[in-house]
Amino acid sequence: MIFFEFARRNLARHKFRSVLAVIGIVIGVLAITALGILGNSVRLSASEQLHLIGNELVVFPYGDASISEDQFEQIEKVAAGAIPVKSGVDKVIFNEETALVSVYGLRSEDMPNLLERADGQFLKHGSSDCLVGARLADDYEVRVGERVTLKTQKPRIVGILQERGIGFDINPDSAIIISDKLFEALYESTGYNLVIVKLESVEETEAVRTKIEDRLNKKEQVVMVMELKMIVEGIKNLFNMISLFLLGIGSISLVVAGVSILNVMMMSTVERTKEIGVMRAIGTSRKGILQMFLFESLILGAVGGVIGAGLGFSVGYLVDVLILKEASYLFTASSIAYLILGVAFGIGTSVLSGLYPAWRASRLKPIEALRYE
Amino acid sequence: MSVVELIAVTKVYTLPRGSLTALDQVSMSIDAGDFVSIMGPSGSGKSTLLNIIGCLDTPTSGKVVIGDEDVSALTDEELTRIRRDKIGFVFQQFNLIQTLTAVENIAYPMRLKGLSGHEARSKELMWSVGLSEDLSENKPSELSGGEQQRVAIARALANEPETILADEPTGNLDSKTSSAIMELLREMNERGTTIIVVTHDPVVAAYTRKTFRLVDGRIASIESVT
Repeated sequence: MIFFEFARRNLARHKFRSVLAVIGIVIGVLAITALGILGNSVRLSASEQLHLIGNELVVFPYGDASISEDQFEQIEKVAAGAIPVKSGVDKVIFNEETALVSVYGLRSEDMPNLLERADGQFLKHGSSDCLVGARLADDYEVRVGERVTLKTQKPRIVGILQERGIGFDINPDSAIIISDKLFEALYESTGYNLVIVKLESVEETEAVRTKIEDRLNKKEQVVMVMELKMIVEGIKNLFNMISLFLLGIGSISLVVAGVSILNVMMMSTVERTKEIGVMRAIGTSRKGILQMFLFESLILGAVGGVIGAGLGFSVGYLVDVLILKEASYLFTASSIAYLILGVAFGIGTSVLSGLYPAWRASRLKPIEALRYE
Repeated sequence: MSVVELIAVTKVYTLPRGSLTALDQVSMSIDAGDFVSIMGPSGSGKSTLLNIIGCLDTPTSGKVVIGDEDVSALTDEELTRIRRDKIGFVFQQFNLIQTLTAVENIAYPMRLKGLSGHEARSKELMWSVGLSEDLSENKPSELSGGEQQRVAIARALANEPETILADEPTGNLDSKTSSAIMELLREMNERGTTIIVVTHDPVVAAYTRKTFRLVDGRIASIESVT
């Protein structure tokens, strides 16, 4: 391809200038890929730490009151399998160390639906034992079989839970779980602090929410229903916005790079006017001239893009390893997509910036170009 | 048979101060295999005539026939093809492409046309214009003026055009090199290529068999050497 060869040699003829133009693209692509990978890694790491289930509804009491047994039955009529939760905060003694932790009272039949075991077993019906969250078990080095002190009682630990992440319903990681009966006995509580409704699909949440609200909030507002889907979406939107913002910063540097390429190419078409005239005079078509200049910007963009993406990947790797302490986010499809996006943006910007100069060069009149000194 | 024929060709330039008639009803015919010169003072329309014969410009009115094609109203693309295939240009300033080596400059028109075997033919052309093969990989900046003009002539011959158009081909050369270049053009003419030289140098014109003298955009006289 003779015009590609011309492009390569013309760039080599002005090495310093070409290198400067490439540096602009490198910085732009570096910014896009590094920031993109960074944003993506943060999103992935956050979604690993957040326990987000879109098909859940959480019903809270409105105001200071709790949800009464009566109200719970009303909820159950709309949503079978609703899980009532009693919760509080209390001092618990593990191996002579006192900690202030969350305490949840759950019906034994609900536990397998809501929690996952790492060790031991769930509570049997009527049991006065307890389960311990993963974090708590880790921090106080407690094992199945040991006892904890909770007020007047010394329940035995029969199970350790799996880590669940930060949730918007319950946070069992740093909590102990006892049966609802024991909770009632210890804290003289009658109602529930929240009710969790698990649905078959995400699509149902809005309808069920409306039904619960209609049924319970007839005269006055007594409950508040939260759709986890909305929180999930809110968080997704937030991360998308962060990603877009980072991408925006990267794009600004690419625009600057584009302007510098436009400038370099304009200079080059003016400098080479005479040569373009000669090439046209001896039979080079407009298309040929156009191709030659487009190849030049393509080469600048491709070289800058590949170098920039390579550097961006390295920066992303460093940040992931040093800050997030996890390199696996780099090798996900969404991270690789940012590399491809970066290279594509680099080439796109460069070729786009080269379009006008190339078009101008191809429209030069051979006689006038020949006369140019 | 004529390779170039102009019939009542007029070229008018529209300038801010009014229009300027560079060529006024010029008619001329150049036969195949001829060796002619076009002479005239500056401003006589020499360059305009050369541009029109060279298909770099089109006339305001009149008819231009190159070979068997009427080129008066062709598109840019078609004119480009004629310049590539039917005309060889030789310029005063050599006008080689600086990024290409000597042999690549010669091969370029053939590559544009998509001819195969251009490497062998370029070497052959180098030899026929009297260039040593040692120079084939040299860039134009590494060649002397005379060598560059020889490369330019070889390039002009690459696609075996019917006509070579030479615009002051010796203008940038010393007299010894000038006569060598004119001898080379004469040799190419003897092998059958029509050669049109635009010059104001009588020594150059003396090499040709026919001289058209232009004055104020008209042909004032035609002198033939018999």
